[in-house]
Amino acid sequence: MSPPNGSGEPVDRLVDPLFCGEEMELSFGPQHPATHGVLRLNLRIEGERIVGCYPIIGYLHRGTEKLFELHPFFQNVPHTDRMDYVAAATNNLAYVGAVEKLIGLSVPPRARYIRTILAELQRISSHLVWLATHAIDIGAMTPFFYCFRERERVLDLFEQYCGARLTLNCMRPGGLPFDLPAGWGDACRRFCEDYPAKIAEYEGLLTENRIWKRRTVGVGVLSPEAAVDLGVTGPMLRASGVGFDLRKARPYEAYGEVEFAVPVTQNGDTYDRYLVRMAEMRESTKIVLQCLDLLPATEGGPIMAKRPRVLKGPKGEVYHGIEGPKGEIGFYIVGDGTPNPYRCHVRPPSFMNLQALPDLANGHLVADLVALIGSTDIVLGEVDR
Amino acid sequence: MVLAVLPFGLEALREAAGDTLFYYALSPALKILGLVFLAILPVITYLVLAERKILGFLQVRVGPNRVGPWGLLQPIADVMKLLVKEDTIPSRAVRWAFVLAPCLVVAPALVIFSVVPVGPPSSTPGGFSGFVTDIDTGVLFVIAVATIGVYGLILGGWSSNNKFSLMGGLRAAAQMISYEVPQGLALVGPLMLAGTMSMVGIVEAQRGARVWYVFPQLVSFFIYMVAGVAETNRNPFDLPEAESELVAGFHTEYSGMRFALFFLGEYANMIAVSAVATTLFLGGWLRPFPSVAWLSPLDVVPGAIWFALKVFVFLFVYIWFRGTFPRYRFDQLMALGWKWLLPLALANIFVTALIKLWLAR
Amino acid sequence: MSGWKRFLDRFLLLDLFAGLAITGRALFRKKETVQYPEERLAPAHRFRGMFRLDEERCIKCNLCAIDCPIDIIYIDWHQELNEATGKKEKKLDRFDIDLQRCMFCGLCETGCPTEPKSIWLTTKTYELATYDRWQHLYADKEQLEGWRGRPAYTDEEIAK
Repeated sequence: MSPPNGSGEPVDRLVDPLFCGEEMELSFGPQHPATHGVLRLNLRIEGERIVGCYPIIGYLHRGTEKLFELHPFFQNVPHTDRMDYVAAATNNLAYVGAVEKLIGLSVPPRARYIRTILAELQRISSHLVWLATHAIDIGAMTPFFYCFRERERVLDLFEQYCGARLTLNCMRPGGLPFDLPAGWGDACRRFCEDYPAKIAEYEGLLTENRIWKRRTVGVGVLSPEAAVDLGVTGPMLRASGVGFDLRKARPYEAYGEVEFAVPVTQNGDTYDRYLVRMAEMRESTKIVLQCLDLLPATEGGPIMAKRPRVLKGPKGEVYHGIEGPKGEIGFYIVGDGTPNPYRCHVRPPSFMNLQALPDLANGHLVADLVALIGSTDIVLGEVDR
Repeated sequence: MVLAVLPFGLEALREAAGDTLFYYALSPALKILGLVFLAILPVITYLVLAERKILGFLQVRVGPNRVGPWGLLQPIADVMKLLVKEDTIPSRAVRWAFVLAPCLVVAPALVIFSVVPVGPPSSTPGGFSGFVTDIDTGVLFVIAVATIGVYGLILGGWSSNNKFSLMGGLRAAAQMISYEVPQGLALVGPLMLAGTMSMVGIVEAQRGARVWYVFPQLVSFFIYMVAGVAETNRNPFDLPEAESELVAGFHTEYSGMRFALFFLGEYANMIAVSAVATTLFLGGWLRPFPSVAWLSPLDVVPGAIWFALKVFVFLFVYIWFRGTFPRYRFDQLMALGWKWLLPLALANIFVTALIKLWLAR
Repeated sequence: MSGWKRFLDRFLLLDLFAGLAITGRALFRKKETVQYPEERLAPAHRFRGMFRLDEERCIKCNLCAIDCPIDIIYIDWHQELNEATGKKEKKLDRFDIDLQRCMFCGLCETGCPTEPKSIWLTTKTYELATYDRWQHLYADKEQLEGWRGRPAYTDEEIAK
C-alpha cells in the first residue's frame, strides 16, 4: 500500500508540462543537509514535480515526556531545554508557566520582566538561526555568517546571565535562579541598539533581491482556513493573514505592559513568512528595550515567588501555552499530589507546523521543497521530543 | 636564466627540425604546453585558494590560513589529498565513459587558451608573440570548443550508474546548451564592430577605435557575463552542483583526482570565459585609454600584465556573485536564458547593425 | 514607488547591486574569526563548566545527588570519630560524577546548602576532550578536588 498522498488530489496530467509519465518514490532521507535535523520525507515525484509528500519522524525521539514523570518539577527544566534546542528559554518559560499555573504561584514583577527579556532575546536568536539556514538552503551563503555573528552576541548575553549558551536552564518554577549580573542591562541595551542596523543588512541582501523573490514568492501558499484547520501557529499562521499571537491574545509575563505590534501579512507564501519573521525580530528588540526601561523600578525586588521548598503538584491538570518563536508551545501537566508530575505532555509547534508540509509541497518542484522546509522552521528536537 | 637560454634552445631546435615543422608544429606545441603548465594550472589552483579566501572575507571571516602564511600552501595540500584518495569506480559504471568524462571537461577549457591573446603580436618576425596562434575565425573556434565541454558532463552523469547523477548531468548539460545561444549571440556585437573574427584583430580594432568595446556594447557585455556565469555552473546558476539540492549532481560518484579534474575544468572554464570577455570587451592587452597620449608612460607595463589584471577583475566578480546571491531554480534559470537573454541578444544585434548602417551613410 | 522608478529598478538590477554593495562592504570589516587554539574566548563568570568539589565544606547532605535530573552523582559516606575534636562526623568515601551523561545543568550547585557552595561549576572549563577515554569517563573525588581545568586557572579565578 502506498503512503498517503498529501492532499488526495491527482495532478492534472494533461496540463503539467513536467510530467514525464512515471512516478518515482524518493526518500529525502534523514541525513540531508537541508532537512534541519533528522527528518525523513518520502516523496513521490513525477519528473520534477512532487505529487506526494509523507513525512516520517521519530529519529530524534528521546522519551522526554516520560523523563518528565520521573523527577520533581524543578528538575525537569533542563529536559525542556533540549526539545527545541534553538529556543531553550521559551521552552523553559512555557514549562515553568504551566507549573506555576498548576501550583498557583505568583511570579514577582522583576522576574516577569527579566523572563520577558530572555524570551524575546531567545526569539531573536531562533529567528537568526532560521534566517541563516533558510538563506543557505536557497543558495545565499553570506547571511548565514552575518546572522551567526549577531547570534554570538545574544548567546554571550545568555552566557553572562545563566552560564550556558544553548541549553539554558535559566528559569525555575516561581521565578528565576539568579538575578542579573552587573552591567548586563547595559550590554543588552547596546545589543538592541545595534541590532536594527543588522536586520537592515539582511534585508538589503534578501528582501528586494529578485532571485530571492523568485524562489519564495508564491511558493507554498497556505490559506488561512487550512492553517487554522491544521493547527498551525506562530509566524506561519500570521503570514496567512490570521493575526493570532498569544502574547496579545492571552498576555503572560510582562507582555501586557509593553507595546509592540504583531506583524501579519496576507499571502501565506514563503516570502510572507520571511517578512513576518524579519518584522518580528524588530518587534522583539522593541520589547526588550521597553522591559529594560521598566526594570530599574523593581531594583532589588525578589526574583522568586514565595514557595515551599518542595513543590508538590496538587491533584489537577492545567494547560499553559506561550508564543514561542516557532508557534504556540504548550505544556499540559497533570499533578497528583506528589512532587513529580503524573503526566506532562508537550504541544510542540514544529510538530503541528510540519503537518502543513505535505499540503504545501504538493505540486511544487523538488527545489521548492527545500525552501518550504526552511520556511516552516522546524526543529526536530521538538517534533520528536 | 631560462629566458636567456630559451632563444638559443629554440634556435637550435629550428635548425634541427626545419622551418615548416618548427613554425607550424613544434613552436605552438611548446607554447601551449608552457602556457598550460606554467600559467594556467597554477592560476587555477591558486584561484581555488583565492575563492576560499575572498568568500571568507565577504563573510567576515578569514579563509584558510593554517597551511602556510595566508594559506598559500593550501592548494598544494588539497592536491596532495586528492591524489592519495581512493580511486573508486562504481561497479556497474561504464568504465570508458567514466574515465573519459573529466578529461572531456578539462581539455576544451584548456584548448581555448590557444587562441586567446595575452599580449600583442611580436614586432619582429619569428619573435615571441603574445598568443599561441591567431586564426581568422578565433571567436568561432572558442565557441565551438567550449561546446565540447558539455559532452563531459553528459558522459559523467550517464556513466555513473546512478539515477541522480544522470538527472544532475542532464540538467547541467541542458543549462550549458541553453546558455550557449545567448553567449554566442552576445559575441556577435563586438564582431560587428570589429569586422573580424580573429581575436588579435578584435583587440587591434579596439585600439583603432580608441575605446574598449564594453562601452558601445554594454548590453552585449552584460549578456555575455550572465551567460558566462551560467555556462560555468556558478552561483546564481549553480543548481546542478549545489549541495543542498536533492542530488549532488553529475560528479556524485567521482572521488580523488577525477573529481579534482572536474573542478579544474570548472575553474578553467571560468578563466577562459573571463579571458574571452577581456579580449572582446575590455581591450585585451591594451592599457586603459590606449590612445590618450599623456598616459603613455603606462606603456612600460607589458600587455600581459594588463590582461592578467582584467582577468582577475572578472574572477573577483565571479566570486563576489557566489558570495552574494541565492540560486535560481532550474526552470527559472532556463526561462531566463531563453525568454530574456536570447531576445535581448537578438535585439542588441539588430540595433548594433542599424546604428552601424546609419553611421556608415 | 512610481511606475517609472520601479521599471528602472527592475531593468537596472539595482536590487542586485545593493546586495553586492553589502557584501562588498563586508570585505573591509574586521574579521570575526578567533584563531583557536592560540586565542581563546574567555567564558563569562557564571559559565557552567567542569565541576570542583571542596570536601571540607561539603556536609554530605546528599542534596546534590537528589537534585540531579539524571541521577549521576554517587555519594557514599560513613560516620567516623574524629580524634582531634572527639566528635563523630561524616567522612566522604565516594563522590563520583558520571561525566558521560552530565549535562552541566547546574542543579547540583543550586541545591548545595553550604555557603559558599561545596560543589560548583564555575571552573570556566569547556575543553574536556581527552585522547584517553577511560580515565575521564567518571570524575571521582580526587579528580574533582584537584580539577584545575585546561588551561590551568588559578584558585582566585575560579572561586565563587
